[in-house]
Amino acid sequence: MSTTLQPYLKAVRQTLTAAICLENFSSQVVERHNKPEVEVRTSKELLLTPVTISRNEKEKVLIEGSINSLRISIAIKQADEIEKILCHKFMRFMMMRAENFIVLRRKPVEGYDISFLITNFHTEQMYKHKVVDFIIHFMEEIDKEMSEMKLAVNSRARISAEEFLKRF
Amino acid sequence: MSKNTRNTAFRKVDVDQYGEEVYEEDQTADEGATGPSDAEVQSMLAKGRNGDALQYVLTNAPLTSKNQGVKDKAAQTVLKVLMSLKANEIEGSLKGLDQAKQDTLMKYIYRGFENPSEGSSAQLLVWHDKLFAATGVGSIVRVLTDRKRV
Repeated sequence: MSTTLQPYLKAVRQTLTAAICLENFSSQVVERHNKPEVEVRTSKELLLTPVTISRNEKEKVLIEGSINSLRISIAIKQADEIEKILCHKFMRFMMMRAENFIVLRRKPVEGYDISFLITNFHTEQMYKHKVVDFIIHFMEEIDKEMSEMKLAVNSRARISAEEFLKRF
Repeated sequence: MSKNTRNTAFRKVDVDQYGEEVYEEDQTADEGATGPSDAEVQSMLAKGRNGDALQYVLTNAPLTSKNQGVKDKAAQTVLKVLMSLKANEIEGSLKGLDQAKQDTLMKYIYRGFENPSEGSSAQLLVWHDKLFAATGVGSIVRVLTDRKRV
């Protein structure tokens, strides 16, 4: 299974590099407003074809682009109940602090666990290739952290159960 | 005051659709584009002419068709062909493709990712990698921006 990880991340990286070409574009609907078109979705001509990259049935990435913004949604592998809970709590923790992350979206897109919104203002302030590096690094680290947390939960549960049962 | 001043239905009218510069999707639908014939593809795969099968399905891709059913069927056929080619044959079959076919192939690879099944994603990732090595970022950009969806 891990043999698909590197090709998967490579494909995501290549697609992101292609999709992250953003330029400033003021709203066509409301004057003097500037909105991320991928979120507003009022003008069809400004939206690019949404593209999915999947590693298997459970893990996939949805990349929706537009002229001035890009939305990346990630579905993380959750094999059992405890991973589902851990994932949900971990993602919630990060999404509450979305302002500090700058590119994170406060709510994930329907069907996915976490979403990023990158606008032309972000690409003007930050290096594009570094933003892409960040997203890929994020995807790698999430899996590692989830397994670490799961191990920690299990060992804690074992130790506390042991201590409790020593009484009997 | 006449009676119809109570009628506020005018508020629900979408005035933006009557604007002069409203973008309309290209209306020309080619009803003749019926996609590759399944029987033809089956026979080619049975004979082991996988490279030819790939050329055939890419040439007959129903890009201009408005019928979603036709497109779905074509996508399934292409997926079958892609799964049938072995890893070492992929590079050889890519050599014979011109740019338009390479773009169509990239579109089908992404379409294949949307419906992952047993082992399909792993094979598609290999295809994506090899095709990217041949075409570069350009083909992905063309997939994202082309209005003719597969």
